[in-house]
Amino acid sequence: MNAIAPSPARQLGFAVRPRLRRRELALLAIVAGALVLGRASLASTLAGHLALGDLRLLGLYLGGIAAVHVAFVLTGRRSDQILLPTVALLGGISLLVMERLPQGLVVQRFVGHDLGLAQLQVGWLLLSLALLAVLAVVVRSDNWLRLYKYSWAAAGIALLLAVFVFGRDVNGAQLDLCLGPVCGQPSEPLKVILVVFLAGYLAENRELLAGASTRLGPLRLPPLPYLAPMLAMLGIALAVVGFQHDLGSALLYFAVFLFLLYIATARVSYVALGLLLFLAGSAVLYEIYPVVRLRVDIWLNPWSDPQGAGYQTLRALYALGTGGILGTGLGAGLPSVGATPAIPVIQSDFVFAAVAEEMGLLGALAVLACYLVIAERGLRIAATAQDDFRALLAAGLTLVVVVQAAIIVGGNIKLVPLTGITLPFVSYGGSSLVANALVVGLLLALSDRGVEPPPPPRPRRRVFGPGTAEGVA
Amino acid sequence: MNLRRRAAATRTGGAPHDLVAPRIGRSVLQVALALGLAYLLIGGTLTYWQVVRADALTLDPANPLVQAARQSTLPGRILDSRDTVLAKSVRLANGTVVRQYLADPSLGPLLGYRSAQFGTAGLEAAENGVLIGLSGQSEADLLLRKLQFQLYRPQDVVLGIDMRLQKDAEQLMGNRRGAVVAIDPSTGQILALVSSPGFDPNQVASPATGAAAFGHLSTDPASPLLDRATQGLFVPGSVFKLVTSIAGLGSGAITAQTTYPDQPAEEKTGFLVDGYRVIDGHHPFTDGTALDYTQALEVSCNIYFAHVGLAVGGPALVQWAARLGFGAPIPFDLPTAASQVTGGGGPLGGFKDQVELANAAYGQAEVLVTPLQMALVAAAIANGGVLMRPHLVIGTRDAAGTLHPVAPAPWRTVVDPVIASTIANAMQQAVEGAWGIPFAGLGKVPGVPTAGKTGTAQLGGTGEPHSWFVGFAPVQGARIAVAVLLERAGSGATEAAPLASRVMADYLALQQGGTP
Repeated sequence: MNAIAPSPARQLGFAVRPRLRRRELALLAIVAGALVLGRASLASTLAGHLALGDLRLLGLYLGGIAAVHVAFVLTGRRSDQILLPTVALLGGISLLVMERLPQGLVVQRFVGHDLGLAQLQVGWLLLSLALLAVLAVVVRSDNWLRLYKYSWAAAGIALLLAVFVFGRDVNGAQLDLCLGPVCGQPSEPLKVILVVFLAGYLAENRELLAGASTRLGPLRLPPLPYLAPMLAMLGIALAVVGFQHDLGSALLYFAVFLFLLYIATARVSYVALGLLLFLAGSAVLYEIYPVVRLRVDIWLNPWSDPQGAGYQTLRALYALGTGGILGTGLGAGLPSVGATPAIPVIQSDFVFAAVAEEMGLLGALAVLACYLVIAERGLRIAATAQDDFRALLAAGLTLVVVVQAAIIVGGNIKLVPLTGITLPFVSYGGSSLVANALVVGLLLALSDRGVEPPPPPRPRRRVFGPGTAEGVA
Repeated sequence: MNLRRRAAATRTGGAPHDLVAPRIGRSVLQVALALGLAYLLIGGTLTYWQVVRADALTLDPANPLVQAARQSTLPGRILDSRDTVLAKSVRLANGTVVRQYLADPSLGPLLGYRSAQFGTAGLEAAENGVLIGLSGQSEADLLLRKLQFQLYRPQDVVLGIDMRLQKDAEQLMGNRRGAVVAIDPSTGQILALVSSPGFDPNQVASPATGAAAFGHLSTDPASPLLDRATQGLFVPGSVFKLVTSIAGLGSGAITAQTTYPDQPAEEKTGFLVDGYRVIDGHHPFTDGTALDYTQALEVSCNIYFAHVGLAVGGPALVQWAARLGFGAPIPFDLPTAASQVTGGGGPLGGFKDQVELANAAYGQAEVLVTPLQMALVAAAIANGGVLMRPHLVIGTRDAAGTLHPVAPAPWRTVVDPVIASTIANAMQQAVEGAWGIPFAGLGKVPGVPTAGKTGTAQLGGTGEPHSWFVGFAPVQGARIAVAVLLERAGSGATEAAPLASRVMADYLALQQGGTP
């Protein structure tokens, strides 16, 4: 035993010995420089001569980032140093795009002031950063997630049902839930809840799911009873989301479910079965829901109805083509039709097309690279985690961000049918930013080499399995 | 521990596996690879849109950027090879932008129009990207453009057309329907491109007269909106014998000395192909002579070329024609229709039987050509067998006045120079030889060795045939090749040939500083 007794602060779980984070600082400096340059480029294009422009909003944002970094340093966190700069770059690009778009696209009244698009976005970004910092600094144990997975699942379902009853329609899909003046999309926090539940359940039952099978005559099927709770949870989520016509979220949940199931069990047959189910389900949805049929038909041929259904997809493709390799430059592209941008919902669903037009292929690939960096960091955290729950949680959290980005970018570039979900950290909107900040905050906490070790394996609880044959061996 | 695992295994009724779950790290790595592949696919698709399809998307008429250009930019001018302004844009006092053209009916089919009501057509549409300044710039220019805060950089388009020759050809056509294509065989530069009847593009472009003019033009039975030179498909008749010549001599099926001993007799009785008689009989003065290749072209002997076609065979004839551009739209500044040797679908390389092949070999049956295609046939022969890429635009001129020329480039090597020279020699005989003069003599450019071939395309029924002439001058070092088509105008010898002669003569005179 070491002679030096742990400090009182250590005993509280709050290591207050500051620890420099040099790599994070260096990367943040580069990000800040790039964003200031981008803001100046935007201002110059709009002014027609070299100008620095109004740096107040960007200054606020960079100040927020700096505060988060300082908080990590002061609390001596030994967490990942790449994630924050990556997310800061994406959020900064979001701010530049929001400053560039017509401010009237979204206006909300707040304490007697009308706030425009960029002002609102900077508010949400700062709120998200605060949440991210609090999670990354305060979370020292995962028991509150690990032990209450069914409670979290219940909360998630309650949230969805609330939308179903009280929800508000947005573009034909029932997406929003309003609490007083603040409206949000519950599908965003729900994705985090889903990951927590899946990680908890899979960690507890993965040996069984990976090894055992149900025998039905000559066929060896997966141990269905052990899949049931997950399938039920997923089914409820998909059904409710299906009723709300939020296809993007449904697709995201299903993809993350399959990925996590594979990570937990390494059984290809599960994935194959899942994909079969997906194809069958898609075929049924295609027949039942006109909205699904429309989306698929547009995807196959947007030119069939260029002024109607194919309008936004085509406009996005034009934006890609106009951008070319180098882009038009911030502020120089994105023509307007009348007073509104040529691409509908450019601030959320089509923000990637906006980036690709004004920053070109190089800028768009850089944004994609940011998500790959998040994937690499997150999955590295998963692979080096101390136990299965943490591994699955880290992998799941990473996947919700990276898969969501792939789904919406794929929709923007006509690789897959378009579904209305946000591009994490870049699209306008509070729910999306807050939920994704939650994800990164948790990832940072999980990556911290100073956190509390996971609890010792507990005796297995009986879950939903049939206990009839118990004790035969 | 082990006991518990085995209990769990049997609980689910499975075989007693050793229930050790796989290592998570491994499947995490596999998921990472899957994600990497997905993003690679996304990056590839993005690159496809932003690099491969970038120009097409940028210039699509439905692109809001192109539509916005109408208000925010003055499109560049269109100039001829001597800087005559053919089209320019002016901003009126009320702020609207109007396109104004040199008033000439031959410019409608060539330039198309640019109108607020009817969009763009013809060359105005094809060169829209350069004219409104969204294309025709290198990546370096684009980078510079970003620094100069300009999105549109309109440029002038310079055509290889000599407006004097264009006007001349248009006036020679008069009110007859048809087309004239003149090309410089050594460069592929189009010197004149006339489709008649044409229209004055000012009529359509002017907001005052546009609607009425467009309605009138689109219902006119003479179809002035159709560019006959590039998109009209016509039965070629005997001018197609040049294509058969290239196939026959090029493939080695015949030589310049080849004769068909039965041919003189067949002139009287007809050449029997599978029960069908190919008839001729329009050159009785050759009487008992078994014609060789040169003589056969000189007197335009159908029976000789039917023999050549059969000797070449269907698939080879189609392939040799394809070298000249048949079978697919010719890559050109304007949209082109694909010329054809056969309607296709038959067993003999598309020909349904020997009869179709024999008739096609002298330009009847299912053969259909554009005047531009026939001009290219003449140009290939004139240029020693090398077909230059045909082009209207010889350069663009930026706002600073710098010309960015389009370099001439070979398109196809059709046949070797010796064979090209053999055919050129036969074409010269057709125009200047004792036997040829009655047929193509009027195609002769006075004082200049001239090569040519007439065509009188029978259309069935009682109407007049199409009158054709294709040729070039001078025979050595040709400076102009032409194709002239006059719809239902009569024989090639009396109608198209003299017109072609005038066009070639006038161009050569213009080049030496004269006037047409």
